[in-house]
Order: sequence, then C-alpha cells, then structure tokens
Amino acid sequence: MASADAVLEIEGLTKVYRSLFTPAGVRAVDNLNLTVRQGETYSIVGPNGSGKTTTLKILLGLIFPTAGSATIFGKDIADLSVRERIGFLPEDAYLYDCFSGEELLDFYASLFGYSKARRRELVDELLTLVGMQANRKVPFRECSKGMRQRIALAQALVNDPELLILDEPTSGLDPAGRHQMTLLIQEMKRRGKTILLCSHFLAEVEEVCDRVGIMYRGRLVAEGTLSELAGEPEETVVTATGLTGDLAGRLSALPTVREVTTDTVRLDHVGEKDLWQVLQVIHEGGGEIVEVSRPRPSLQDIFVKAIREEAQ
Amino acid sequence: MNPIVTKVILAVGLALIVAAAVVTRKVWLSGIWHAVPSVWRIAKITVAEARRRRVLRAVIALVIVIIISMTFFSYLSPQEQARMLINGGLSAITVFGILLAIFVAAFLIPNEIENRTVYAILAKPVRRFEFVLGKYLGALIVLAAVVAIMTVVLVGVLLVQDRLVEDLPDSAFNPNIGQVVFAAAMSYCALAVLTALIVLISTVSSTTMTVISAFIIWVVGSLQSQIHDLAENAAGAAKLLLLVMYHLVPHLENFDFRFQASYFQPIPVPAAVSAVLSGILYTGVVLIVASVFFNDRQV
Ligand SMILES: Nc1ncnc2c1ncn2[C@@H]1O[C@H](COP(=O)(O)OP(=O)(O)OP(=O)(O)O)[C@@H](O)[C@H]1O
Ligand SMILES: [Mg+2]
Repeated sequence: MASADAVLEIEGLTKVYRSLFTPAGVRAVDNLNLTVRQGETYSIVGPNGSGKTTTLKILLGLIFPTAGSATIFGKDIADLSVRERIGFLPEDAYLYDCFSGEELLDFYASLFGYSKARRRELVDELLTLVGMQANRKVPFRECSKGMRQRIALAQALVNDPELLILDEPTSGLDPAGRHQMTLLIQEMKRRGKTILLCSHFLAEVEEVCDRVGIMYRGRLVAEGTLSELAGEPEETVVTATGLTGDLAGRLSALPTVREVTTDTVRLDHVGEKDLWQVLQVIHEGGGEIVEVSRPRPSLQDIFVKAIREEAQ
Repeated sequence: MNPIVTKVILAVGLALIVAAAVVTRKVWLSGIWHAVPSVWRIAKITVAEARRRRVLRAVIALVIVIIISMTFFSYLSPQEQARMLINGGLSAITVFGILLAIFVAAFLIPNEIENRTVYAILAKPVRRFEFVLGKYLGALIVLAAVVAIMTVVLVGVLLVQDRLVEDLPDSAFNPNIGQVVFAAAMSYCALAVLTALIVLISTVSSTTMTVISAFIIWVVGSLQSQIHDLAENAAGAAKLLLLVMYHLVPHLENFDFRFQASYFQPIPVPAAVSAVLSGILYTGVVLIVASVFFNDRQV
C-alpha cells in the first residue's frame, strides 16, 4: 500500500465513540484505508454523520483512533513536526471572536515562532490573498460567515503548509462565497499544495478534485478519479426541436434509439455511423438539431448509487 | 504549618513530579525548554482575550466601590477604623479574587473546547501541556492584574484616610502599608494554587461539576484546621474522607494574613515562606497532572 509519493496514508482507521448512553458505541469511522498522493486534491464526500470530520480530527490529533493508524509525510500523526507542515480549516470555523482577522492571523503565525516583522508581512499577504484587506480590523464576531471562512482559511495557510486539510470549506456560504472559496482552493492547488477536503457539496468537489472517496457510515464505499467513478458514458443524447408526430415515430423505429421525447432523443452509446443516421432522420424530418452530448453520470448519481448499494 | 508536614509534602511532591515525568516518557523532559515560547504566546492571547471581557472590569469596579464605601461608616476610633478598613478591604480582595479565580479557571479550558477555538490551536505545533500551562499562566497574569489594581485602591484609600485623621489630636490611624500589600500578595498566592486545582478538575469533569467542586474546595481549604480536628475525632469512612480532604485540598488558610495586617501583628515569616513554597510545589504537581489528563482528552 505504501507508495513513494504518498503524503497521507490512513490504514485500518477505526473510531468508536462510547458514552454512557451508547455503551455499544457509535462506529463513526470503520476500518478506513485511504492514501492521498503528493500534489493531488482529494475529497471525501459523504452524507451527514458519515465520519468525515471524525477522520480529519484524528489526523490532527484532536481525538484518538480506536484502532488503525495514519501517517503524514511518512511520520506518525502524533509527531509534532508533522503539524509544522500542515494547515487545518475546522468545520464551522470558530476562532477567538473578540479579535479581528489581523490579530488572529498574527497570533496563529506566532505559534510557528515567526518574528514580528515576518508576521506583519505574512498577515498582509494572507489578508490580500483571501480578500480581507478592507475588513482586516473587523472583530471576528462581527464578521459574516463568508468573511469568517476566509479568515479561517488564511489561518490554515500561515505556515505555507504542504498539506491542507479542509473540513467543509464551503459550508454555510452563499453561491458567490462558494465560488470564491473554490477559486481559493484552486489557487492553492496551483501553488502545488496537497489538499484533503471533505464536503457534501458535490458540485464544487467536481470542480476542484482529482480524486474522490465516497464515505458512508464510516467506510469508504467508492474511490477514484471522477472519470473512473463515472465510468464510460452509457448513452448519447440528441437535443433537437420539432420532434413531433411522424418524425418521432420514425425515430422510435430506429434500433439504437431508446426513447424519444418532444425535444430529446436518447440512444444507446453508439458509433458515429448510427449517430449520423439519427441526425439525418431528424434533419430530413424538419427537426433542428440543438446539441449532441454523451453525459457521464454526475457525481451526485454516483454518490446516490454507491450509497444505495452499500445500504443494501 | 507544621515543619514535618511541609517536608512530607515536599517529598511526596518531588516523587510525583519524577513519577509523572517518567510515566509520560521523555517527551516532557526534552520539550520543556522548547515549550517556553509557546506557553508565553498562549498566555498572551488569554490575557488579551480577558481584557476584552466586561466581567473583569465589573468585578474590579465592585470591589473599589466596596472599599471606598467602607470609609463612610463611623468608627469608635481612628485605630478601629484602620483595622476595619484593612480587614474589610483585604477580605473583599480575597473573596472577589477567589470568586473570579473560580469562574476564570472553571471556564478557561472548557470554553476553548466548547467554542472549538482549541482546534485551530492544537492543529498547530503546540503540545497539549503547552496549551494547559499557557492558559494557566494567562489566568495568573489576569488575576495578578486584578488583585494589584484592587490593592492599589485599598492602599490609596488608607493613605488618604491617614492624611485626613492626621490633624486630629489623638492620631493612631497609622496603617501599615507594607503588611497590607504583603497580605494581598499572599491572598494572590492562594488564588494561584486554587486556580491550578480548578483547571485540573476542569480537564476531567463538566463545567457545572467543576464550579461546584471549586466552591467545596474553597470552603474546605479555608477550614483545614477544623477539618483536621474533625478527622482526629472521627472514625471509619468519615475519618478517611476528612483525612483525604485534609491532605489533598490546598490549605488556603495558610495564605491568610488578614489578621496580622489589621491588628498590626508581626508577620510570621517562616509560616509565610513555608506556605509559598508548598504552594508552588502543590501547583506544580497539580499542573503536571492536569497536563497528563488533558493530553488524553478528546476535544
Ligand atoms: N464527540 C462525539 N461523541 C459521540 N459521537 C460522535 C461525536 N462526534 C461525532 N459523533 C458521531 O460520529 C458520527 C460521525 O460524525 P462526523 O462528525 O465525523 O460526521 P461528518 O461526516 O463530519 O458529518 P457532517 O457532514 O454532518 O459534518 C456521527 O454519527 C456522529 O453522531
Ligand atoms: Mg463534518
């Protein structure tokens, strides 16, 4: 399993939360195996309570695993030197709310032992990066959710980490905020950082991730690049106008066609010749072709399918 | 305090420190020097945060009002007035200091966990014990500032009163400022010890339980000589419980020099030194235990 370029390796990780009320325990993470490679952006996707945050908290030493182990940069996660090289954005970022973004970043930078002059420069740089220069003096408690999330991301970047661990970086943000956060993540990716993030916003994951792991009830139920997970396109869809009456009937009669509606023709994933035949029939029948596409199943579909399979 | 008891405490304390260091492996020993800057940074942010809370200012204002209002009463003689002012002022400082210490200490770490501010910090290269010590040091600085401000006000009031009654024929006000400051400083030492113990309790129990135990410790700690007498005459489980309390709960009364300050008695130096030394030792052991507990705490 150990690969040379692995930045993060999780092996057999299990976490059982026990309490007075649940003596049997809640198995939040169940024998999880996962590898994140140098420079890649890996996303753990899963429904609420699937164990994503638990996994990340174990990686940061905030809680301790019941079984299994994890290494970052080849070192055990308990090793303090690991934390010199990683950045963490907690879920629902809560930072000391009586301080401003500027003060907070200065404090978090000081924990790495940077000098005052270096911190001043760094804080300035980070505030610019996350677009908080204008609001640098606003107390955290008065910041909007979007501003908080940006300060929290900057906080994770104070040590210019090689590995970024982001717990739901876009949660609670409006579409504009989500877009900005996605751009920032892409920027981090461009800067060569390895990123592990978790989310249930599938759309953004699709935009930024190289690989996705689908987590359900503490287990990884599917994993791979988006195209691996999506597989080959299964059908071709022709969108056109004027697909009525006679034309529709003629199209339905073709052997490759699965379904005809008023504006689409769905056919088996076919070769070019069969496709041309369909297009010609539409053209001759007076229809106007708008688009031809071979959609892959969306991540949402894969997600739902994987979870449905697992649940059975 | 009985010198033999002091020696026993010293020996047990040292043994515990060594045992804790061995049990928690060399991490502690090797990292201690490296820890100083981290501890200091966390202490600083703790102080900065406390400065922005209004509660502190309210407590200080309340004590100042109490001290000043004590000058409005009429007294039998200037000496009587001096005595009442000193005793009352020091009592106000001690009581409000302890109340403040209890609440500061009980929420010091639980608040960080509750508000999840601890995540971002512990995800940085900060060791758990550095966090505990930093928070404790921060609380110590805050309490020191509060006690200092209240003491300065008390001293100011005493000096002003001294001026006012000086012109009277039979002037015997004559406050002993040195003793007052000394007594306030000793009260502060009691706060420091109590704070450490409450921080320890807060690492293993809920906030409500921590506050309740803190009040029990305050009462027991102030009545240790009675506890001792009770233990002498008790038997069985009760005796055991009383003995455990007597030996585990800090002897807060040993830090109480209000009587000497207000009755112009000489300060028993050996008793004070012994109280401070055993206080430091006790605090050290308590903080090590708190760090060990917090080390295993899932946050
Ligand atoms: N401190 C805790 N004590 C007991 N159970 C917990 C604790 N934290 C989490 N759990 C349980 O563990 C499971 C996984 O929780 P976790 O927070 O890791 O999920 P998640 O995937 O991050 O969910 P979300 O998408 O809602 O953030 C849930 O069933 C949750 O109830
Ligand atoms: Mg979560």
